[in-house]
Amino acid sequence: MTTTPVLEAVDETLETQGKPPLNVIYEWLTTVDHKKIGLMYICYALLFLVIGGFEAVLMRIQLAIPNNHFVSPQVFNQLFTMHGTTMVFFMGMPILFGMGNYLVPLMIGARDMAFPRLNAFSFWVSAFAGFLLYFSYIGGSGLYAAGSAPDVGWFAYAPLTSKVFSPGHSTDYWTLAVFLSGIGSIGTALNIVTTILCMRCKGMKMSRMPLLPWLYLVMSGLVFVAVSPLTAAQIMLTFDRYLGAHFFDTQAGGSAILWMHFFWIFGHPEVYVLVLPAFAFANEIIPVFSRKAMFGYPAMVAASVAIGFISLSVWAHHMFTAGLGPAGNTFFVFATMVISVPTGIKIFNWLATIWGGKIIFAVPMMFMVGFLFQFLIAGLTGIMLAAAPFNWQLSASYFVVAHFHYVLVGAIVFSLFGAFYYWYPKVTGKMMDETLGKWHFWLFLIGFHLTFDFMHIPGILGMPRRIYTYEDGRGWNTLNLIVGIGAIFQSVGTLILVYNMIRSYYKGKEAGHDPWDAWTLEWSVPSPPPSYNFAIEPTVNSRRPLWDLKHPEDPDTDYE
Amino acid sequence: MQEGQSTQGHEHEHRSDTVILPAPTPWPLVLALGLALLITGMVTHWVISLLGLLLTLRAIVGWFFDIFPHELHVAVPVQTGVMKISSTRTTREQLPVSAEHRQILPVETFSVVSGIKGGIVGGLAMIVPAALFGLLKYHSIWYAVNLLAAGGFVSWASASTAFLCQFHLEGLLAATGIHAFTSVLIGLLYGAMLPMFPRKPILTAGFVAPLLWTGILYSALGIISPVLNARINWLWFVISQIAFGLVCGFIVNLQVKVRTPQFRALPFAVRAGLHSDVPLTKDEDL
Repeated sequence: MTTTPVLEAVDETLETQGKPPLNVIYEWLTTVDHKKIGLMYICYALLFLVIGGFEAVLMRIQLAIPNNHFVSPQVFNQLFTMHGTTMVFFMGMPILFGMGNYLVPLMIGARDMAFPRLNAFSFWVSAFAGFLLYFSYIGGSGLYAAGSAPDVGWFAYAPLTSKVFSPGHSTDYWTLAVFLSGIGSIGTALNIVTTILCMRCKGMKMSRMPLLPWLYLVMSGLVFVAVSPLTAAQIMLTFDRYLGAHFFDTQAGGSAILWMHFFWIFGHPEVYVLVLPAFAFANEIIPVFSRKAMFGYPAMVAASVAIGFISLSVWAHHMFTAGLGPAGNTFFVFATMVISVPTGIKIFNWLATIWGGKIIFAVPMMFMVGFLFQFLIAGLTGIMLAAAPFNWQLSASYFVVAHFHYVLVGAIVFSLFGAFYYWYPKVTGKMMDETLGKWHFWLFLIGFHLTFDFMHIPGILGMPRRIYTYEDGRGWNTLNLIVGIGAIFQSVGTLILVYNMIRSYYKGKEAGHDPWDAWTLEWSVPSPPPSYNFAIEPTVNSRRPLWDLKHPEDPDTDYE
Repeated sequence: MQEGQSTQGHEHEHRSDTVILPAPTPWPLVLALGLALLITGMVTHWVISLLGLLLTLRAIVGWFFDIFPHELHVAVPVQTGVMKISSTRTTREQLPVSAEHRQILPVETFSVVSGIKGGIVGGLAMIVPAALFGLLKYHSIWYAVNLLAAGGFVSWASASTAFLCQFHLEGLLAATGIHAFTSVLIGLLYGAMLPMFPRKPILTAGFVAPLLWTGILYSALGIISPVLNARINWLWFVISQIAFGLVCGFIVNLQVKVRTPQFRALPFAVRAGLHSDVPLTKDEDL
């Protein structure tokens, strides 16, 4: 066994304990520390995960049996609108930004983000955007009338959003909340890009940077390009609704298709904004639990950058049924299929990393195996939907809903859960309970497959998405019931996760600074890390600095 | 996995210091709240917007004085000590690998330019059987060109044979673009993959790869465009692909190989050409 000093000095300062609660609250409200902001992002996103998940359960109860009237059609429309908006803008993006906020400076050897105050502002503006959206339940028709939440779908197609079809303020709440969250997203993306480009520690060339910051760099670049058109579109829609402009008013020379283009040129890159961090977690977890260096690091970087670029040219595959014409159809079929090439490279590289490794099936790795398998299936149904003739048949059906939930839950949420188990010891200094983690994994896995495997079939049988209820005798009954039962399994699994996190915080085993015997810089500081991260700026000589220090007889520098 | 923690303790304290960090500030929170209220007034009451405006202005002033004339900092005390980091696992010498053992990672490969060259020349060679097919069957070299252009002009897939036998400039441009792009792409794949299958390059490049590619395209095109699929003569298609594969593979194999990072990892004796029996992986083994 080798024991080698890793750093000249590391922190031993304990945070002051036993402060009055008001002081603690003030400290968190005014903090500019990237770790605290990251944790606030994550907690805020988990709150919205519970809310969005509750909305999903309500929808599945409504659809579990035919001719059901558990909720009214109006409430059902609000549920799917709020569920989609919440999960994308107020759960998915914040939780991934939170993870990035926490991890990126630690992994590149920096003391904080490049713009700490902007970082705090970005978080708070995103948080207030979420609260504004949900305030619509109270004030959606203005303070003088009963409230009502937005009900125009998470993509808010024109002309449904015009004043004629959507009176009151419910749609305005959606527009303004998404606009506000866009400001926060762009601010955080700016911070991540600047931090990565300008604040890497000594020796950390771009070619030595861990893959997680690389993917966050690509993701943040995508946020610049993708969120800006959406923000512009929200302003145009607000002009339409408040100032009588006609950008999307088809009766006055406007174009509903224009909205579709604006929305989906944001909407499809947004999928990659969400999935690239999931890839990033896989890139860190799979090698550590396979006890091997990442296979094909340069190819992984190149594939990530390629995905970033190609993802900007595929948006109109969401619009095949709008009538793009032969040239448009052909281009977007081709572009969509091409993106499977870099994505396939990634899957092969993950498999090659696992191949021949000394695999440790701890809970983070179990979630990664689930992620790999499910992401592959999601990609395959994605290729099916990329073929325009196939898409014409199944567009706006439950097949599409099943496909994108395979990506969002099967890939992103699984990877995120794996990341929770992996980095929780670093954040809290305590290990999460492994047995509870395995219960969480298996229940969630069973629930996921019950829900989303079976959801494909009613789609193929013709069940449209957003349908409120359905007649008996269409062959959808049993399938929808199974889908609903799966949602219960997933809910129980998620509650076990929450219980495990709270219980482990108080009763978990001490983690130490490097419980997984990992190789990146965040594992060289105490758990939880001190406010300044590194007492002395680290110097790295390879992509796995801790490997080099643990194995001076066989450092990575010989191979890179 | 936890056993090793006892070995990762802190040793004696030897230095005290401070680290300068940005001071906590309420103004980002206040500015965010102000902006949120400013626009919330649009859907509630103008008084909310007014409140938001006041908060925004106050936050801007507060933020300004956080930074000017000097950025506010706090000095965080640090007590440092030496931390020892070690692996909880042991390493062992790798077993010698047989000389016959298949090399997983090539120590030499073709450059990117090799693949591009191969793709271009292979693409030119492929034109010959494709044009021959058009001449023999439809007495026009433009049939194959226009059929390929149907990948861009979807309606051409169902056009009459007479139309496809005529010269169309836009068809030629579209076909040239598709053909050039695909040829270079496949050439790059050849450049990347041929070093991985070094034993029978003619079989791999000339027959296996074209047949696999044709099989994938045949199965996919039936779904993507059944009309176009029905018009393709698959025998001649395979012949064209084989022509591409043979020529592209030949050109790629003519190029000089470049060394991969794996080569640099080899011991000096191997790099100098004195010895060849080496383990090629360095991964940890418990």
